[in-house]
Amino acid sequence: MKKLALFTIIILVFGTISPSLDNQAYAQNDPSILLRIAIQADNQVVNQLNNIYSNQIPKNIEILYNKGHTAVNSLDQSLSNDDIEKAKQDFLLAMNSFMQISRIISQSSENVVVKTTSDISNQKISNELDRLEKYVKTLESISKRHNDSAQNSDNFPKAYSLIKEIRNQITTGENPSKNINQLKIFVDSIKNDMRKSAAEKQSIAIKQFFERLIDQIDQKVIQVKDSGIDQTEIDKAKGLILEIRELLSKNQINSAKIVYSELKVVLKNIEISVRIT
Amino acid sequence: MTSLIEPTQLKHSLGDDGILFVRNDSIFDTMVKTLLLVASMIIVAALLPIQSSFSSPRDLDLIIYPDGTTHVTTEIEVDPFLTDYELNLFGSTIDNLVVIGDNEFLLDTDIIDDSVLIQTFGTTVISIEYDIHDLVSKQGKLWTFYLDSPSDFKLLLPQNSAIVGMTNLPINMEIINDQNQLTLSSGKTEIDYFFSTNTITNPIVEPKNETDYFSYLIIGGIIVIVLIGIAIFVRNKQKNLNSVEHIEIPVKNNILNLETIFKLKPDLREDDKELVKFIFNNDGEALESELRKKFLQPRTTMWRAVKRLEREGVIEIEKKDLQNLVKLRKSMEEEQ
Repeated sequence: MKKLALFTIIILVFGTISPSLDNQAYAQNDPSILLRIAIQADNQVVNQLNNIYSNQIPKNIEILYNKGHTAVNSLDQSLSNDDIEKAKQDFLLAMNSFMQISRIISQSSENVVVKTTSDISNQKISNELDRLEKYVKTLESISKRHNDSAQNSDNFPKAYSLIKEIRNQITTGENPSKNINQLKIFVDSIKNDMRKSAAEKQSIAIKQFFERLIDQIDQKVIQVKDSGIDQTEIDKAKGLILEIRELLSKNQINSAKIVYSELKVVLKNIEISVRIT
Repeated sequence: MTSLIEPTQLKHSLGDDGILFVRNDSIFDTMVKTLLLVASMIIVAALLPIQSSFSSPRDLDLIIYPDGTTHVTTEIEVDPFLTDYELNLFGSTIDNLVVIGDNEFLLDTDIIDDSVLIQTFGTTVISIEYDIHDLVSKQGKLWTFYLDSPSDFKLLLPQNSAIVGMTNLPINMEIINDQNQLTLSSGKTEIDYFFSTNTITNPIVEPKNETDYFSYLIIGGIIVIVLIGIAIFVRNKQKNLNSVEHIEIPVKNNILNLETIFKLKPDLREDDKELVKFIFNNDGEALESELRKKFLQPRTTMWRAVKRLEREGVIEIEKKDLQNLVKLRKSMEEEQ
């Protein structure tokens, strides 16, 4: 029995410690990653230099590249020797050199046009649409979890059909900005409806939380009454507390929240904490 | 063996002079247990604040779109005794903000410059998602991501992007749908990347990092401890079984053999032993009247002898047709 108890304690202690041990382990580097990133950067920089300068690479860039490339080789060597600290230094040196080269290249090639303006614009719109679609999907999944499907049964399909229409417009080269704005407004209205519905469903819990909070604030205000604090501020706080109570009794939670934000400012002035216990 | 028939009171008896003897091993045991418990509690107490500290992101994931906009997803533990929580966003150009609480209800938010005031009202964890345009800048063909992160985070770079510079050491790197995903530590991070058509020509093999080995080590450790625990448990069980077996092995045809009975009861009187022998040879049972006839003993003498054997746990008495049927017990462990 004693051994069983001891065994249980060991398991409990080990179980408690193990997640934190795992986190520590996770924070350690896999050194081979450094070499892979550095080699990728090296290759990319070589590609860029070849594209822009061919065989006439400026001296300053050549020096920087040699510095970076040497650091990559050194990094490989350090990893072979299991010298992790040296490997880290080599990695940072290499990446710093490549970063400098890239910035020099980007400054000098600012005028190089890679894509047409309309291509870039289309890509931007397409990316924006992707994000909007993701946003709609997030809202839809929240709505489904709370059985708001009846309320939004028409809304989400409508949003998706608008997204489809905009995609078609992008493909055919039409200007979709009007539809995008319409989609944004429509999705915002869906979100507002969902928020109102959530507020209704949560109203009892929020009301109870609020009432408890207001009771405690009221107690604190009474306590500070005789501690030399400006009486007008205390009276103001009391008035707002009364107002919040009245709004809560009428289930006007949103209005109560607005008055509460005013109360918070007053409480800050008279140094009362608003954290309930 | 003898310890099995020792009176249990002996273990706790007081000396003749009335001195109370305290078992040292019990004290030692208690001390060790107490120390262990205290140590466990200290460890647990030390770890709990780390695990339950408020306002620190539990997860922070960033996805960079090809146009430089970044999608941020984070989960934050908040103080459930406050009405609201102010979160610093990573910039001021925010789109598509969604904040949900414990019950996965949308929470009310108010964006003020680069922070958002979230009405939490008792919620303990909030999940936040938004798109931000402030984290990536572009000069020529070079894209630069910059973030001063409060915690470690994951960063998914766009497809066909190639890192050409970075200021921090990455914790990890993997490929997800042909996209590089970096795990980076908290603090300032700057990453430069280009878009290229031949970025992942040498696909980066998913790293088999040290974390995996360490996880295996932890799992292995737990398995070893469990196995040791089971081994100790089984060994103790076997010890108990062995001690029982010493009594039960000689049982044949449901009756203990004579040798075992006399071994277990060495102090039996010779005339009682004769009675036992007779009962044993009579298929383990005999009427008290049969015993009287056999041994030519008066009723009271035989009754006392039978009662003596019953007390010793050698026999048991049953009523059969208003007579006493004396039977040898099948096992003597019942009295231990």
